[in-house]
Amino acid sequence: MSQFTHLHVASAFSGHYGVTRPEHLAEAVQAMGGTALAITDRNGLYGAVKHIGACLQLGLDPIVGVDLAILDSDAKPVGRAVVLAHGHDRGAGWATLCKLVSVAHKHGKKQPVGLTIEQLAQLVQSGSEETGYVATATVLLSPDNPFGRLALGASRDSALHALQEWSQHFVAHGALAVEIVSWLTQPGAEWSTTQAQRLLDLAETLGIPAVLTNAVRYLSPDDALTADVLDAARHLEPLGMFQPQPNAQAWLKPHQAMVDHAMEICRDYRRAQKLLDATAALANRCRLEPVSDCGWGKPKTPEKATLGIDGNPFELLWQRAHEGIHWRYPNISQAKLQQVQHRLAQELMTIHKLEFATYFLTVADVAQMIRDMKIRTAARGSGAGSLVNYTLGISGVDPIENDLLFERFLSTERSSLPDIDIDVESARRHEIYRAIFKRYGSNRVTLLSMQSTYRGRGAVRDSGLALGLEEDRIDEIAKNVWRFSARSFRAATSKKPELAGLAQELETDRTMNLLVDITERLDRLPRHISMHPCGVILGDATLLNLTPVEPSGIELPMSQFDKDDMDPMGLLKLDVLGVRMQSSMAYAVQEIQRVSGKTLDLDAIPLDDPETFRTIRTTNTLGIFQIESPGQRELTGKHQPTVFNDLTIQISLFRPGPMKGNMIAPYLDGRHGFAKAHYPHPDLEPILRETFGVVIFHEHVLRIFNQMTKCGLAKADELRRSMEDPRKKPLIEKFFREKSAEHGYSASVIEEVWGTLEGFSSFGFCKAHGAAFAMPTYQSAWLKTHYPTEFVAGLFTHDPGMYPRRLLLAEARRLGVQILPLDVNKSTDEYRVEALPDGSLAVRLALTEIQNVSQNEIKRIIKNAPFKDLGDFYLRAEPSRRTLENLGLLGALDGVSGVTAESISAIVDSDSLKATRGDVMAKVRQLNAVSKRPKLDPSQPTLDFIDLTETMPRGNPAPSVEENVVNELKLMKLDVTQHVIELYREMLDEMGVVRSDELVGLRNRTEVLVAGVRVATQTPPMRSGKRVVFISLDDGAGCSDATFFDEAQQRCSHVLFNTRLVLVAGKTRRTGVRGVSIMAENAWDLKDLYKEWRKRKEQTGTGQQTMPEAQLQSA
Amino acid sequence: MLRVNEFVEVSVNQTGEPVGFSWRGDSYLVVSRPVRWFARREWWRESDRAYRGIGAGVVEMEMWRLNAGIRSKGGLTSTQNAAQFELVRGADASAASSKWRLVRVFA
Repeated sequence: MSQFTHLHVASAFSGHYGVTRPEHLAEAVQAMGGTALAITDRNGLYGAVKHIGACLQLGLDPIVGVDLAILDSDAKPVGRAVVLAHGHDRGAGWATLCKLVSVAHKHGKKQPVGLTIEQLAQLVQSGSEETGYVATATVLLSPDNPFGRLALGASRDSALHALQEWSQHFVAHGALAVEIVSWLTQPGAEWSTTQAQRLLDLAETLGIPAVLTNAVRYLSPDDALTADVLDAARHLEPLGMFQPQPNAQAWLKPHQAMVDHAMEICRDYRRAQKLLDATAALANRCRLEPVSDCGWGKPKTPEKATLGIDGNPFELLWQRAHEGIHWRYPNISQAKLQQVQHRLAQELMTIHKLEFATYFLTVADVAQMIRDMKIRTAARGSGAGSLVNYTLGISGVDPIENDLLFERFLSTERSSLPDIDIDVESARRHEIYRAIFKRYGSNRVTLLSMQSTYRGRGAVRDSGLALGLEEDRIDEIAKNVWRFSARSFRAATSKKPELAGLAQELETDRTMNLLVDITERLDRLPRHISMHPCGVILGDATLLNLTPVEPSGIELPMSQFDKDDMDPMGLLKLDVLGVRMQSSMAYAVQEIQRVSGKTLDLDAIPLDDPETFRTIRTTNTLGIFQIESPGQRELTGKHQPTVFNDLTIQISLFRPGPMKGNMIAPYLDGRHGFAKAHYPHPDLEPILRETFGVVIFHEHVLRIFNQMTKCGLAKADELRRSMEDPRKKPLIEKFFREKSAEHGYSASVIEEVWGTLEGFSSFGFCKAHGAAFAMPTYQSAWLKTHYPTEFVAGLFTHDPGMYPRRLLLAEARRLGVQILPLDVNKSTDEYRVEALPDGSLAVRLALTEIQNVSQNEIKRIIKNAPFKDLGDFYLRAEPSRRTLENLGLLGALDGVSGVTAESISAIVDSDSLKATRGDVMAKVRQLNAVSKRPKLDPSQPTLDFIDLTETMPRGNPAPSVEENVVNELKLMKLDVTQHVIELYREMLDEMGVVRSDELVGLRNRTEVLVAGVRVATQTPPMRSGKRVVFISLDDGAGCSDATFFDEAQQRCSHVLFNTRLVLVAGKTRRTGVRGVSIMAENAWDLKDLYKEWRKRKEQTGTGQQTMPEAQLQSA
Repeated sequence: MLRVNEFVEVSVNQTGEPVGFSWRGDSYLVVSRPVRWFARREWWRESDRAYRGIGAGVVEMEMWRLNAGIRSKGGLTSTQNAAQFELVRGADASAASSKWRLVRVFA
């Protein structure tokens, strides 16, 4: 008897239905001795490519289907069916499956995913009355259907009738089968043996093939519990609030168990044999041949005609790449031209050998299209190492100048499609996607999807939901789940100070124990599918026969495959990544042009501007791409970059690999002359000179391999990659030692170099990637140096950084960039640069900054401005009551009400002519008291109406500065008038708290107190494995960075992660010429301290006015 | 129907089906083909733990329904005196040492 084949198996890629990853299911079947396995995920082929890959590796025949809802004519789900693609038919079955899934998703979220029985019949059968019908897929009707439920009732006829009604749509041989399942539920219930028996009888009566499955949801019985939790997540309801699965029987049962099921259902050996034979026959029909059926591994690029090419694509690529030389290298010397041409020819020959010419032409075509749209682009990743990419305009980094290697990007030793990633302005990313769809046709393009997986916090949230915990309780626990995977939740509770409370509860609280257990179970399971942030798939006209698509969040179709599925499927993925910094810079350039008329080409600025490097060296790098984090700021202080290559090195050093590999300190020691650079052999000096003998880049490793073994750079990259595989490493070592010895290197040199390479293997960084990143780093630093106002406007408008916006404001203050308050006549939805009468520039706050103002209100304000007075604004901008009040409190109505700078906060007596913000608020209250806003009709002004809009109350006192700051924080989360810490200044001065800009003048190991708004908390990976917490506090004068080691964390971990205003006590620690950080000993919540201080003030009756409680709450 | 919840000694055949049990001092003999199914448990209400690998016993229980009568002296049981019993087999994996509970009797 042949081995039983499971034909209905949901993997974890089933939208919270299946539990087990496809690879694990396939491994289990191989271990049981099976020869084939189906994957039938719910609503899509999300796990199909991973399944096929695993089957190929394990020697199983893959079978692929989908589990879909059957809809009635009102698009309501009435049951379910599995559709299995037939195989060995040159892709006809696979194409049917892909199209069928795409049709099922056609209406997006507007209706349930599924198909009517008529649609199903039409999609799986082709042909006509005359020629006869042929099926390319089989519809397997689940017991979970109307006839299945009727079968449990008293009337066999009605069940028979219901099944017949559906079956008559399927005339082609093999288009339909009935699924027989017993989950061994209570006799007479759904999924019971009784039901299976009756369905088998119905199928036999109607002559429809019946096949046995176990409608599998998980690998082993133990996983049933995880399935319960996923059910809760899918239903968005706690366990106990919905009908749960009937028991734990939906597991991947072995052959004998399935034969026993067949016997229990059929009660007759021959009948059971027939059922199992029919199952095997269907399995055989559905075994896929991945290459011929799914196009497995065959690279697909748009057809030549689509790219506007006739003739040989390689010749065209050769020609275009050479044409680019003069664009990239104007006035090039003869010697340099030869060098460039030689390298270009070498790269092109590799591309030719790999037959990737069309691929490069495609990417170049997209890059050109983006430039034609006047959108900023930059390459990222190893692609920056290619001269072809540079001359084609795909990348903007000169690989020769930066010493980058093509072989790290592409070589004949590897034939997978290379990854080329293009960074673009984030704000215009969707515009580019639409243009790509338009240019190549929507039959050749889809977006890429991605499956997010459960990590700590998400797992806690969904587990908490399943157990019916209160939202607040879940929040509280999730908040402290920080930097560890859900799998080790229980272990973490005993180690992390912030989880100490939970650890204590675990000793007594049953629910908390369940929470921890099921959270661990969810770890790494797929959570939901979403649009990949940057991936676009480009194929030929057959693309939609190869991948199913569904609507994405931006309406454009999205493939159900993720990035890991691209290479196996031979699909070309282009990463068009939206980078906010590119938008910020484009905005700054646009504002420079608008205000001053100057045209600036940021891609043509000199890369050796001393002032730019001076700016960087001050460590005031906030807003500068890649080097603004606290850690990078500290490194900048120590490193003190002076040339472009320094930026490349610095960006590459501050990565988990180089940090774990302990590369930073030896490099800095070499650079500052504390240690003499050491080279194991003089031949390696030219390679490692730039990093003082420290191996940092992948490119270093390639060159060392090549230098010592003469293996060639292409092979060297293969060696580098293979070193990460522990099984291959001994072979590489043998090769390296033998070949280096052959080339005359001494045993001690070989020993030392191998030791370095071995230690390096997982830690290094691709220099091309670092150099590609260094470009926007330099460009943003250049803008910050030469056009700070426009740059700040760009940062505010596109928010590229890691810090809250109020810190940007503090940085603007520090830079001396003037920030203008909101003004309904001047503010828009962007931060506009304004030229002031004295010729200086300033940035105007944007209306979008106000919380709770609707998009429509903002649109009306922009459209109707300018307004002649407050009444005019009230009538034409039609603000809601709340918006009118908020605008007033924020001073946005001062301008239209005649409030001037002097009178904003002054107390003005009643007969003064000047209005105050207090008067504005009085007027706002009057307007808001009007029950219905009068219609604006200039021909019929009523008396009331005139009165309402023209008189302005007088004599109301203006709010204090403190009140203004509190309002700003409350309504914009920005302290515009002055830094929020100033509200605490009296107390801070009394305590002797030091300002962040004073730290640099203090001696090492001075005891200090610093205070500020917590703007960042980071726990970077450490070599020792111990956790170190870095927090940055902004106090308006700059940022102070404090480091908390174990002991300090024990004292105050609750403050480090959850508190906004923090006071830190510690000792100063010099980290470089401009670098000072604080070794923290303790930290407190500033507001708690203030409450204590205020109480004492009130008791002693000293001090000036303290902040009342309400103000403290929102400050 | 009588609800009970008592441990009983059960003897099983080679395939694990119950053939007889003793309850309240009487020895019962199974006289029908027993029917087995799996019913679910609400572990989120009943269980203290739910860790990976705890086993399906937290999620479901194995139920048996059978007709049995008191064994008479001659070793025969009169089917006329038989009643229907529902038994739960304990979560323990091995059939030999597993604990059985009698939960319902349908007279």
